[in-house]
Amino acid sequence: MGITSADYERFWFPLDNAAKIYPAIISDEVPAVFRLTAVLKQPVKLKSFQKVVLLIEKRFPYYKVQLKEGFFWFYLEHLPGHIPIDVDKNILCKRFSKGEMLLRILVRENRISVEFSHILTDGSGGFELLKTILIEYSKACKADIPVEFPYMKPDSTMLEEEYEDAYNRYFNKEIPPVIRRSKAFHLPFPLNPIPRFKQSTFIISLKQIKQIASIQQVNITVYLISVYLYVLQEIFEDLPPSNKYKKNKRLRIQVPVDLRNIFPTKTMRNFSLFVMPEIDLRLGHYTFDEILKSVYHQMQLETDEKLINKIIARNVGGERKIYVRGIPLFLKSALLRMEFYSLGTSQYSGVISNMGKMKLPPETEVLIDYFIAVLPPPNKMLKTNCGVIGFGDKLVLSFGNITRSKEFENKFKSFLEKQGIHMDTEIKNEKHDLL
Amino acid sequence: MIYCKNCGVELEENANFCSLCGEPVSDENNAGLDYLTTGKTSKTALIDFQKLTHLQKRKIFWEIAGMILFSGILITATINLVSDHSITWSKYTITIGLALFMNITLIVFLYKKLFLSFFLSFVISAILFFLLDIYTGNTGWVTKLGIPLLLTAYIIVLSFVLVEKKAKQKGLNLLAYAFLALGFLCVCIDGTISIYTKNFFNLGWSLTVMVSAIIISALLWYVNQRLKKVTDLKRFFHI
Repeated sequence: MGITSADYERFWFPLDNAAKIYPAIISDEVPAVFRLTAVLKQPVKLKSFQKVVLLIEKRFPYYKVQLKEGFFWFYLEHLPGHIPIDVDKNILCKRFSKGEMLLRILVRENRISVEFSHILTDGSGGFELLKTILIEYSKACKADIPVEFPYMKPDSTMLEEEYEDAYNRYFNKEIPPVIRRSKAFHLPFPLNPIPRFKQSTFIISLKQIKQIASIQQVNITVYLISVYLYVLQEIFEDLPPSNKYKKNKRLRIQVPVDLRNIFPTKTMRNFSLFVMPEIDLRLGHYTFDEILKSVYHQMQLETDEKLINKIIARNVGGERKIYVRGIPLFLKSALLRMEFYSLGTSQYSGVISNMGKMKLPPETEVLIDYFIAVLPPPNKMLKTNCGVIGFGDKLVLSFGNITRSKEFENKFKSFLEKQGIHMDTEIKNEKHDLL
Repeated sequence: MIYCKNCGVELEENANFCSLCGEPVSDENNAGLDYLTTGKTSKTALIDFQKLTHLQKRKIFWEIAGMILFSGILITATINLVSDHSITWSKYTITIGLALFMNITLIVFLYKKLFLSFFLSFVISAILFFLLDIYTGNTGWVTKLGIPLLLTAYIIVLSFVLVEKKAKQKGLNLLAYAFLALGFLCVCIDGTISIYTKNFFNLGWSLTVMVSAIIISALLWYVNQRLKKVTDLKRFFHI
């Protein structure tokens, strides 16, 4: 049974397993906020757009929440009011303040962006909301959407499953947890002054990269992870010998996997895990082909359902222990923060998240040029990340960077160009930047 | 088609303002709305002011306050010089004016450094007290009465500011804290004056003030608690 409007006042739910870490580590520079942008072919029709948001927000009550502090855990509580629509001032992924709704919609010229706190959902959940907005917007612009196209229609009934903690559903306590990994290499670049986060967008032809990846008999995700690792290897090898000696020699990339593709659920909250393909530079230099081969097999192995179960067992098992549950929140937050930096971020050198190719009804697709997925700003250890999203013939790479160096992006670009993949840099409107 | 010249979105044909950013629709798009010109200008000016950062707004306040204070200092000094051929009574306005200006400067430029600005403000006010004592014949009231009272007042105000910042709810509870702080300040004033005049600690009128302040604070606190939305215990203590 869904939530009726009379229940809103009492509507609350605990954070899902993946979200529990975020309130402990959030700061102005690490806001745990991601952004999904749809770049339209025409400027946004404001009036229609505002009406659409008012229409669809009732369908997603589990997103109209604020973060509250309990005695043992944080929880999410219904927040009356509408989803805020603001001018996009190009301040990316700004932290949500106390008492604020954990998502915002930002509009400028022909861009519609939705920013979500990771406490609320992951990229797939977030995209479902954006998809509904775009389809309804195209309907407001007189498009005729086929009834059979699957999306979360504003007048459809919300299911309880949509706000379930799917990790809990698929947790099996009999499974042994995973073994801890060693520390990984981190980029040595100096940090930007605060605010550190900068983002750059590159657009490549989806057909072109697909063709080149298929020659190597891998998919685009494996190909891009391999490029990421190859570029990191180049940066490592360019380091002066004294510096190189001190650095960890394992290059490991964190790759989010949407668990909805493995375990059936309709959840709109976080339901993804990470696999971490790696290369060990203690074994010597890797050619690109060797990296491709290694990453391909690691991805095949690590996305196996049984291994994923093992990771869920570790993550959920920890929070279920009674002595963990009984620790007051302020102590738990301090412990989680320590664990995040010592066991989490230290284990990988970079993040790449490929959301895949977005599918919308053709009547909506004609309005859209491309999408951009901006990952949450990386922390001081990680320094860079890369969000990937495809639409039509455009694959958009969004690099997040908090350092003064653009070496990583430049090397990535020049490597792809050497492989015959042309990359266009998105030129931002100057006025847009100044605001 | 009408487009907002600020945020670039498409607006309704009859729109006067962009409902996203508040920007008035430009003249070329809005030829028939000349009568709105005056309103638009003031609105634009208002928007320009709103676009300023908090620091820029504080700087404007600082400049205006500086101009007023220095004009006051200059005028009183000139009148004093012309009438008496020397600086006599105007030294009070000059000293107080300068102390005020220095305190405003602290508020403007050390807004976020609470402890530092309070400390420096205390030092400036203490120096002001010393100078006033010197001007009035060096009777020595500053060390025994002025500085202790000043220090007490600064500590109480600083504590109140800290409590206000930490308070999760900002309603009648803050008024309750303010009454308590005021009552406590009265006790300190009464006690310090008694030590200064009688050489022993003795409380009189301030006890009545303190008891009244406690009663009023308790009443305000109770009303605040009654008004506060009671948090569901199940969600607060969920484990």
